[in-house]
Amino acid sequence: MSGVQAPGAYEGAANVIAAGMLLLEFGMLRQALVRDQIRLYMAQSALISVLAIVIAADRNLPDLYALAALSAALKVVAVPLVLRRLLRRAGLDDEEMPGVAGSNTLSPATAVLAGIVLAAFGFFCFGSLGIHGPAAPALALSLAAAMVLVSFGLMIVRRDVASQAIGFLSLENAISLASLVVASGLPFLLETGFLFDLLAAVVVFGMLIRAHHARSDSLSTADLTKLQG
Amino acid sequence: MSAALPIPVIQLLQVLTIAIGAPGVTGVIATVEARLQGRRGPRIRQPYYDLAKLFRKEALAPEGASWFFLAAPLIAVTAYLTIPLLIPVLTTYGLPLGYMGDILGGGFLLSLASFVIATAALETGSPYAQLGSSRAKTFSAITEPVVLFVVFTVALLTGTDLPYALAATVRSSAGQIIRPAHLLAAAALFMVILLETGRIPVETHTGTNEFGMIEEARSFEHSGPFLALIRWGSELKQLILYTILADVFLAPWGLASTQRADAVGLAIVALLAKACAVGCVVAVIDNSFAKLRLFKITEFAAGAFLLAVLGVFTLYLGGG
Repeated sequence: MSGVQAPGAYEGAANVIAAGMLLLEFGMLRQALVRDQIRLYMAQSALISVLAIVIAADRNLPDLYALAALSAALKVVAVPLVLRRLLRRAGLDDEEMPGVAGSNTLSPATAVLAGIVLAAFGFFCFGSLGIHGPAAPALALSLAAAMVLVSFGLMIVRRDVASQAIGFLSLENAISLASLVVASGLPFLLETGFLFDLLAAVVVFGMLIRAHHARSDSLSTADLTKLQG
Repeated sequence: MSAALPIPVIQLLQVLTIAIGAPGVTGVIATVEARLQGRRGPRIRQPYYDLAKLFRKEALAPEGASWFFLAAPLIAVTAYLTIPLLIPVLTTYGLPLGYMGDILGGGFLLSLASFVIATAALETGSPYAQLGSSRAKTFSAITEPVVLFVVFTVALLTGTDLPYALAATVRSSAGQIIRPAHLLAAAALFMVILLETGRIPVETHTGTNEFGMIEEARSFEHSGPFLALIRWGSELKQLILYTILADVFLAPWGLASTQRADAVGLAIVALLAKACAVGCVVAVIDNSFAKLRLFKITEFAAGAFLLAVLGVFTLYLGGG
């Protein structure tokens, strides 16, 4: 065996961006402070806009520039702003925004190792499907699948509504990545339609955070495990 | 036209460059770090003066320590001076002794050196030295899988695990640099280097607080020339690891491709400049992060492991 051939510069760049997004997902998994989780989410959203620009430049799809700008405005600016306001209202201090106590069910190192196992499962399952999109490389699709599973993992191992909301939002990032890879030539209207689904998710999670905080005076979901009769 | 150097001389120069340059690189890092903190800092030559001073001093051994206590620093330095024969320090072409061992061979030598020093520290019966060696072994067991996965990445990229082959692959095209596997493996290796050379965020390099010490604590009972050898050894280890990072992974340019004296001379300067550049990055990290608590170091190692494992994953799908 003489080693694996190097991908082209475009494919390499797209893969590096996708790998960076997966790493940021892992960062959210192990980060204890909600404030820093939001920052990581912003960085991840910025990366997906960069990826859209890279694909647009390489495949000559001018629609994607508009999509990149819209997605950046929404996910890098608007959503984090709304999330921060919600959390401030729920009593998390804006300066500190500490994590919700007892939110981690696993220690960070264990969570990362469990995340690696999840990522490997998603990665190799999608890899064996052998889907080759016209726009972006198969590897980026597998990375997106790994991201989906890791963000599910994030929602499962955390016991507070804020982190679960961020896990859900980054799940949307993963799906955007997959759709960019598989169907970057999708009509602009459909793409923006998917993007605005995100707003519905933000509203739902906003309601959830506020309702939960009003009922139990905390963001922790630990006391939701018992049925009340 | 300058004269061509015979191969054995170049091979010797590889070892001499590392041996003589290592304290200088440490001095540069200390100076940069001090400047960043707004201090004047020690002279760049200070590590040489320290070594010279220690070599002139009397050597003492604790009561009950066997011959191994004194032999350990010698074995360690010998191991460190063997590694420059195996890695591309000055040349792009493999020198005859360069094929004695692959990356794993170099790794074995590094572990051997750290093992004998840890064993010598155990010999002393001093609690701090024993604490240091126990911690050093614990954390090296955690970083071992990371190093293995980095080696797997290299092996998958090149089809061999010779460091020369990877450097040649990286030089061959720009596409080799911006592939996730390469970047992830290089980042994982950098984190391992921070851990192995005892830098922030793992260990304070200059502190005197014994509770946070890992590597530094092991040499507490050594004195005189033997302490000098241990100090020199850790400087050698640092420069060797920087050389592997720079000449194999990040920037394998500036190496001599011929035997001409001027090319080799330029390669020596380039290597030291690259090592100082890596050192400056390390100094910036030293100044911008706090030391991790001892039990948080596993998280740091888990992060490095994540990078290395993802590197191997991406290669398996062919696109990495």
